[in-house]
Amino acid sequence: MTPDTALRHSAEAEAARLPALLARAEHLAGTVLLGDHGRRRAGMGDDFWQYRPAQFGDSRRMIDHRRSAHGDQQFVREREWQIAQSVMLWVDQGASMRFASDPKTLGTKADRARLLGLAIAVLLVRGGERVGLTGTSLPPRRGNAQIMRLAQALVVDADADYAPPEHRAMLPHARAVFISDFLGDMAEVRLALTKAADRGVRGVVYQVLDPAEEQFPFRGRTIFESVGGSLRHETLKASDLRDRYLARLAERRDELAQLCRATGWQFGLHHTGDSAQSALLWLYRALDGGTA
Amino acid sequence: MTVLGGIGFTAPWLLLGLLALPVLWIILRAVPPAPIRRRFPGVALLLGLRDDETVTDRTPWWLLLLRMLAVAAMIVGLAGPVLNPTVNRDGNGPLLIVLDGTWAGAGHWGDKIGLIQSQLQEAGRAGRPVGILQLTAPEPVSFQAANAAASRLPGLKPMPWSPSDAMIDRATEALAAVEGDFDTHWFGDGLAYDGRDTLIAALQERGTVSAYQTQAEVLGLGPASFEDNAIQLTARRSVGGPERTVDIIAQGRDPAGNTRVLAQVPAAFESGATETTAALSLPAELRARITRFELRGLRSAGALSMTDDALRRREVALIAGRDDREGLELLSPLHYLEQALAPSADLLTGALGDLLPANPDVVVLADIATLSPAESDALAEWIDGGGMLLRFAGPRLAASDVSRDEEDPLMPVRLRAGGRSVGGAMSWGEPKMLAPFAEESPFYGLPVPEDVTVTAQVMAQPDPNLANRVIASLSDGTPLVTRKAIGQGQVVLFHVTANAEWSSLPLSGLFVEMLERLAVSSAAKRPSAADLEGTTWTPVQVMDGFGTLSDAGTLPGVAGPALADAPVGPDLQPGLYRSGDRRLARNVLTADTTLAPAAWPASIPVTGLAVAAEWPLGGALLVLALALLVGDIVASLALSGRLSPAGAGTTAAIALAAVMAMPQAAQAQDDPEDFALAATSELVLAHVITGNPQVDDIALAGLRGLADTLYFRTSVEPSLPMSINLETDELAFFPLLYWPVTPDQPIPSDEAYAKLNAYLRSGGMILFDTRDADVSRFGAASPTGRKLQQLAAPLDIPPLEPLPSDHVLTRTFYLLQDFPGRHAGREVWVEAAPPDAEQIEGMPFRNLNDGVTPVVIGGNDWAAAWAVDREGRALLPVGRGFSGERQRELAFRFGVNLVMHVLTGNYKSDQVHVPALLDRLGQ
Repeated sequence: MTPDTALRHSAEAEAARLPALLARAEHLAGTVLLGDHGRRRAGMGDDFWQYRPAQFGDSRRMIDHRRSAHGDQQFVREREWQIAQSVMLWVDQGASMRFASDPKTLGTKADRARLLGLAIAVLLVRGGERVGLTGTSLPPRRGNAQIMRLAQALVVDADADYAPPEHRAMLPHARAVFISDFLGDMAEVRLALTKAADRGVRGVVYQVLDPAEEQFPFRGRTIFESVGGSLRHETLKASDLRDRYLARLAERRDELAQLCRATGWQFGLHHTGDSAQSALLWLYRALDGGTA
Repeated sequence: MTVLGGIGFTAPWLLLGLLALPVLWIILRAVPPAPIRRRFPGVALLLGLRDDETVTDRTPWWLLLLRMLAVAAMIVGLAGPVLNPTVNRDGNGPLLIVLDGTWAGAGHWGDKIGLIQSQLQEAGRAGRPVGILQLTAPEPVSFQAANAAASRLPGLKPMPWSPSDAMIDRATEALAAVEGDFDTHWFGDGLAYDGRDTLIAALQERGTVSAYQTQAEVLGLGPASFEDNAIQLTARRSVGGPERTVDIIAQGRDPAGNTRVLAQVPAAFESGATETTAALSLPAELRARITRFELRGLRSAGALSMTDDALRRREVALIAGRDDREGLELLSPLHYLEQALAPSADLLTGALGDLLPANPDVVVLADIATLSPAESDALAEWIDGGGMLLRFAGPRLAASDVSRDEEDPLMPVRLRAGGRSVGGAMSWGEPKMLAPFAEESPFYGLPVPEDVTVTAQVMAQPDPNLANRVIASLSDGTPLVTRKAIGQGQVVLFHVTANAEWSSLPLSGLFVEMLERLAVSSAAKRPSAADLEGTTWTPVQVMDGFGTLSDAGTLPGVAGPALADAPVGPDLQPGLYRSGDRRLARNVLTADTTLAPAAWPASIPVTGLAVAAEWPLGGALLVLALALLVGDIVASLALSGRLSPAGAGTTAAIALAAVMAMPQAAQAQDDPEDFALAATSELVLAHVITGNPQVDDIALAGLRGLADTLYFRTSVEPSLPMSINLETDELAFFPLLYWPVTPDQPIPSDEAYAKLNAYLRSGGMILFDTRDADVSRFGAASPTGRKLQQLAAPLDIPPLEPLPSDHVLTRTFYLLQDFPGRHAGREVWVEAAPPDAEQIEGMPFRNLNDGVTPVVIGGNDWAAAWAVDREGRALLPVGRGFSGERQRELAFRFGVNLVMHVLTGNYKSDQVHVPALLDRLGQ
């Protein structure tokens, strides 16, 4: 296989995944009814707000002749003032996300995270917001073409076992969504969140975990390996580790929640065994709540 | 083979492997179960956690025990353990198997042969030559290889007798002929007999003797006798053991001729008693049916007792002439007969007409000369059916003309007038004595007493066949008793009176014996040798050692005295013997047989037959080891956490999914009952389905048109026609089948042809229509014609002829001469008239009164002419214009005539209709 065809082959494989992700994201987003997002006041925007009589000072150009032709009075058509927020996504592409305890019934955490990320992006774009990725790779833009670009960017896998959150080039006062399992180094997370808080960025930290990671249903002599293979731990009696593992997991979650409270972020938890739709709803309301 | 604690081992050294088990324990204990590798993102949280306890890196003790057991079972299993090992007790010399082989061992014969077989196998393994000697059928002993001897085993059968002295002698000779020493295994039956001890001693001189004998007692059943109005049965046993009750069953033929148990009586042995009796009281009819008694559940000749005449009391009808000498009993013609017969026969008295319907065995006419024609006819018929008429002479017979000039059917000989008297006061000469009985006489062998004299007798007329009929005569050669066979019965005439008037014969014991020999009476006691002197008995049924009865076949006859008291043996097999009309049973046990238990010298070890068979355990132990290893696999998986519930579910999913593919019965016909109802509630016309939908549709439409026409014009009111599948549908409901022939229709199956032939024979009619009269004449010229030949070849069709002008089809309803359909072909073929049918002068048609033609064959495509749609409009055009319509009308008329012919037969062929028909014909 020449490099040319190999490239094309992988490109087609990638492209084959895209519509599926897109379709699922669109489908998921379609289940959420968009509420009002306008400013409830006249201003710059696309949507009609009201007709008001032409006042002195209005330029002729502003007169809406179709309305004015109904009578003698002249009207000016006003539009609702709409402003677009910039929302930045960070979806963990690390190897640890590519894990599913039961591949037959459960998808990987990465699948779920990408799905949620893209779905919230679809919703936001429909709401007129600008959506992009953290970092410099894909700055926030609006429009359906951006959805396409997001989808392409999201399906790229990273090699590292635990990918650190991208915190560079954050737009000030923008919104951010971090989706990950947050099993990696907490220092990076803390750094990213404090840095974001410094720049006035607020947002949502969404932890996606596999049910097995919550239950630790292992027994007997076991060698645990990370998905990337960089870490390993051997135990002779896995069931003994369960309590201590769960304690550590709760501790980490507490730390995340504490961090979020400190920085004004919101913290959410999702398991791949649960419905994606409820997760999307929570995510959307968390963002919307922040917006309003 | 080494025996350890009752279990033998073929490879005992392998058991040393058990010593390695403790070592294995230590090794296995140190090896922890292999770890599982799991991918787990949460490993980051696990880093630094340490195991608290380190116990589970050792195999748990119960798993170790499981593995130890598996290994131990394998080692022991491979060592070849054998339960109940047979240990060789003898040396290596030749081995002689001695069998009693009497009936007493028949019950355990299978066990015995099995034991011998195993001993032969063992001898074969040891390479010992084996000889077999059965004492009841001794043959020269030859020592053979064990497997050669084993091939003789199935031929050994117990004999229904005990070894006689001659047999013991022969066995001793056979043993003496053997060179060298040998060991003996003696399989005894548990009964003692003469000569056994000497034989044992002779065998012990040649080598060791060991005995094999069942501990069970031997049971036997003695012959049945009839005393005190009951059948007396005696059961015996060899050992006076504890109390025991055996059932004696009486078997015989029921009125339908099937052998069944007729009665049953328990016989209880008291404790210590070796004999018990049981009385069985039965009606005479039932008693006469019994053929044998058996001890229930025993299978030996000794437990079987056959019955003979002793149980069968004959019915004898006694009829004398007018008895006007009341009170003079000793002079009564029947007195001596009654005395002689009463102990052993049932006597009937009365009028001959009343007694014959009771079908007695014997009718005695004492001095009766003439019988009414009705009586003599009835008597002749009864004799012909097997009755025995016994007549005695007397003054009346002597005075009458019976059988004087020509032989009376009911008399064995012609008689001379008057008779004679000798040695009386008014005559010369001495009273006559009896001559010794001739050899062919049934009385042959009976001693002639000196004091029997005859003073008067009726004389037989000399005749060519007189000599054949005399069975006893006087010393001067004149006949005393004559006999003639009639059909299956016989007539016997004593030429003297039945009382002591003419002779002293009725006073003697000879008279009773003669009656017994003639089977007029049967002896109440068992006949002695003297009683049977001079008789020869042929065996009817003989029994083998198991008590199974078989036809005697061509076994030679036995002399009477031998039958009475000789011991049973090869020359006198126990069974049922007959001589003339008399039957005598010879059983294994006689009235005085005692069953003595066999005693063995103390030097001979006696073993029971119930030796437990060798039972190799190796296979079972190896299976156990495998099962334990499987258990170890499961336990190991469970221990190392690999046996998750999901995994178990996956395993369980590999289950047998035996999908029972129930073949759905093709429902060709809805419900046979509905079909039958639809076809028979009204008259239904039917056509055969050809498989060509167009032809089938036209046929159905044609029959619809014909049915409509019949409905409108005649009193025949058919309902809607049906289409018939020859393979599946019943044909008997339809008077007429219309069968359009297409070149490509399938040939019906054999079953369908059988149905069609039955249909034709039972009065059905098939109208074959080749539908090609427009292009060809009848015959094989067209494809449909050839097809018709194929179709009709297996059918039962009589010779055919073109429909003659006087055939009844021409006038059953309409007067017709042409039978057009859509084509106006002339030829229609029907069953040919009988060749002798001739036209009578002046009559318009022949007298053909028989039968409806089973087939009508033509090619005019009648259905097409008849065919109408549901509104009654003609479907297909016929001819042109008015003449075409006329042709269609004629086609309908032919159809009407055809149905009328089928339904009314040859009614219109009856000459009664001739005048009306002549009138209609205008002649």
